[in-house]
Amino acid sequence: MAGDDFLRMEKIRKTFPGVVANDDVDFSVRRGEIHGLLGENGAGKSTLMKILYGLYTQDSGTVWIDGRRLDADSPQDAIDAGVGMVHQHFMLVPRLSVAENIVLGSREPASMFREEADGSSSLLRSNRLVRALASRFTLGLDAPSAEIQDLADTYGFDIDVTAPVWELDIGQRQRIEILKALYRDVDLLILDEPTAVLTPTEAERLFETLRQLASEGLSVIFITHKLTEVTAVTDRVTVLRDGTTVDTVETDSCTRAELAEMMVGREVLFELDKETVSTGQPVLDVTDLHVEDDRSIEAVGGVDLSVSEGEIVGLAGVSGNGQRELAEALVGVRPATAGAITVGGRELTGSSTQAFIDAGVSFVPEDRDTHGAAGDLSVMHNAVMKEYRDGRFGDGVQLDYDAAEAYAQRLVEEFDVRGVGDVTEAEAGDLSGGNLQKLILARELDRDPNLLVANQPTRGVDVGAIEFIRDELLAQRQAGTGIVLLSEDLDEIFDLSDRVLVVYEGDIVHETTPATADRNRVSLLMNGGKQPDGDEKRAVTTRGEA
Amino acid sequence: MQFGVELTPRSEVPRWLVYATPVFTILAALAVSSVALLALDVAPLEAYRVLFVQTLTTEFGIRETLVEAVPLILAGLAVYLPLKAGLWNVGAEGQLVLGAVASTWVGLNVSLPAVFLLPLMFLAATVVGAIWAGVPAILKAKWDINEIITTLLLTFVAADVMSYLVRGPMQSPTGNFPQTAILPAAAQLPILPGLDVHAGLVVALVAAVLVYLLMTRTRFGFEVTFVGSNDAAAEHAGMSKTRVYVLVLVIGGVLAAFAGVAEIAGNQARLRAAFEPGYGFTAIPIALLGRDNALNVVLAGLFFAVLFVGGDSLSILMGVPAALIEIIQALIILFLITAEFFKRYSVDISTDLRVRGVRADAVGEDH
Repeated sequence: MAGDDFLRMEKIRKTFPGVVANDDVDFSVRRGEIHGLLGENGAGKSTLMKILYGLYTQDSGTVWIDGRRLDADSPQDAIDAGVGMVHQHFMLVPRLSVAENIVLGSREPASMFREEADGSSSLLRSNRLVRALASRFTLGLDAPSAEIQDLADTYGFDIDVTAPVWELDIGQRQRIEILKALYRDVDLLILDEPTAVLTPTEAERLFETLRQLASEGLSVIFITHKLTEVTAVTDRVTVLRDGTTVDTVETDSCTRAELAEMMVGREVLFELDKETVSTGQPVLDVTDLHVEDDRSIEAVGGVDLSVSEGEIVGLAGVSGNGQRELAEALVGVRPATAGAITVGGRELTGSSTQAFIDAGVSFVPEDRDTHGAAGDLSVMHNAVMKEYRDGRFGDGVQLDYDAAEAYAQRLVEEFDVRGVGDVTEAEAGDLSGGNLQKLILARELDRDPNLLVANQPTRGVDVGAIEFIRDELLAQRQAGTGIVLLSEDLDEIFDLSDRVLVVYEGDIVHETTPATADRNRVSLLMNGGKQPDGDEKRAVTTRGEA
Repeated sequence: MQFGVELTPRSEVPRWLVYATPVFTILAALAVSSVALLALDVAPLEAYRVLFVQTLTTEFGIRETLVEAVPLILAGLAVYLPLKAGLWNVGAEGQLVLGAVASTWVGLNVSLPAVFLLPLMFLAATVVGAIWAGVPAILKAKWDINEIITTLLLTFVAADVMSYLVRGPMQSPTGNFPQTAILPAAAQLPILPGLDVHAGLVVALVAAVLVYLLMTRTRFGFEVTFVGSNDAAAEHAGMSKTRVYVLVLVIGGVLAAFAGVAEIAGNQARLRAAFEPGYGFTAIPIALLGRDNALNVVLAGLFFAVLFVGGDSLSILMGVPAALIEIIQALIILFLITAEFFKRYSVDISTDLRVRGVRADAVGEDH
């Protein structure tokens, strides 16, 4: 059946100092299929795709596209061969229009230097030197809007190509990136974890788009570590683990559990062991809390919330509805403009972050790279980021770095943080997302907090780490900690929470329990009570995003 | 033909490169400088012998180097410490000048034995240095006003304050030169026995050790490191950014002011209106070169002292114009800073004659 393979990568090997990222990987994609590339962080998915896209050069092995050998030394070679890639981080200029952004990368010379342009300077234009200079030093942004609009309409993209990019939401921006690739006439589209930035509704729209593209004969490689997405959208899936191909299978022939086992290398329990815990004293009591976002616009408007010992309260909501501001206010990082916060019977409204920490409040922030850790500093520095004041690490002004090192070493071992050699040498920023998150969780849980606020704790981490983090949260609940869990992932909310609150536009609009909840209703309320496909509506109501 | 340059960040810097880069870069800077020296008919090797060997092997050269190094080390530390917290104290010059003014005023107007007078002079410098750096610190911490601008502008204010005082209230009653009277003996730093260098050297070395211990052994040093690396995460950890900003800049201001005291009470003995030492600005490359730890700041300060002292010899003995000496010094600094880049990135330059992209001739075996 190798005949209808559009892409074949044979025995690809790529090593980095000390690591074999791809160990003789075989990978092939048929024409017109959506092919999932599944693996944990660090399994070698990104490396493989970067080789295909010309960002890395393999040590050995060959890449065949449509029966021809591809030696891509740069993305331009890959694009010329019909391979396009949509990166996780969009590369768009916000001030330019959609159409301008689309032609930006194709580097057309200014219109007066183009062959088809007419006018008196045609003699000048035909001069080779002038043409060479023009193609290097001028840039034509006079995009053929009509042509691009046609392209967008053909694929059912609901986008006005003359609109400036900054007006569009994340999902629309992603479609521009796809459009950019389509405009360059690619036959194979690589999507690198495309749903990481999308809401569930936007993700569903993306899947529809991909199905349509595939039906037009385009091949799609869909990089992900989310099993639900693999089963939702792909035709076949290749699983990578530790740099080697585990298998390529028809998606329909596999269950989610089987895929997870292939990916992690052991059985993964999706059913969490959730024992009943009798709730104790209230640890958090919030009344009429108002909080502003960075632009001084009210993001949280009058939230009442209470959490007891041994209880997980799940706050379900689409990102950008004030969760970040609420979470930061609960841990004393962001001042409340009105209302009261009481932790363990002590009123802490307006107190310093330090006072909240001392009252036993722990926090897993949404953005682990900017708020949860200092990437340039060692694992040890990050492990003691909050505890360094404690008497264990020396008395008075002195800080006992030996004790800090031993402490960090213990956390790394107990929480199975991988990729750390020497805790004083390894930089936190070099850890994978899942391992950094484990380190942060270790730091926040080891102090036996009274209250833990966890904002999107499993976002962007691999299946193994997700399982670990959820288990740890439940164990902490067992130990009597009150937990506020903010998540966009409804499964997570329903699996872990004792009570579920729905957040919409900075307010709690609904309260229920996992046992009695109507999931469709919750999903509906998260989206403002409209039908979940109300994408345009959401674009307007989304705040604090981008 | 294709020509490509590829930059890859190094995951770790090879050990040999850490030591080899400064050596190679200084050699490279000297090689480039040779061109200018040859153009002036000066033998480069002889010039470099005077610049380095003579400075470091004669008693005079060593003494002058140490004297020169004192304010350079102190001012270097004044830039280094705020830099660790992510702040640029580019106004060490102004803090230094005011430290010189305040201590000179105390030295001339208070009559006490040296054991009391000298500490009082350092105390006066502490106060002005703390104020001069504290104002930008508070502006930065409270309203996020760029400290590069405020510290630099306050330098000009300091220079004008000094100019006014030395030409007016503090001018020596005897003579018409714009300068103060000579400091009484009790207000001058004693000479260290054996070394023939004033006691400011001890102040500078003790300051360097204290800053080193502050950064590597204390909780405050941990906070400075954290704020310097990621201030948002530091605030999440309950650290006070305001406290860190104010303390590092105030300590920096005091160290710069001490450099002023040491220069006047140890070296010049009187304050002249033309006192524009430039140490506060040279302190910036010193802090950059020594940014790994405070003891490296001492080494960087000594290195610059050699350049200055050797440069003077070069212009006196061989008639090399002062401007050219500054060019040599600037080239060395420039090369050293460039070298930092090569330490962090590996550079591959490739020339390639083959055609890239899809090769139509190479067809798969099953087609």
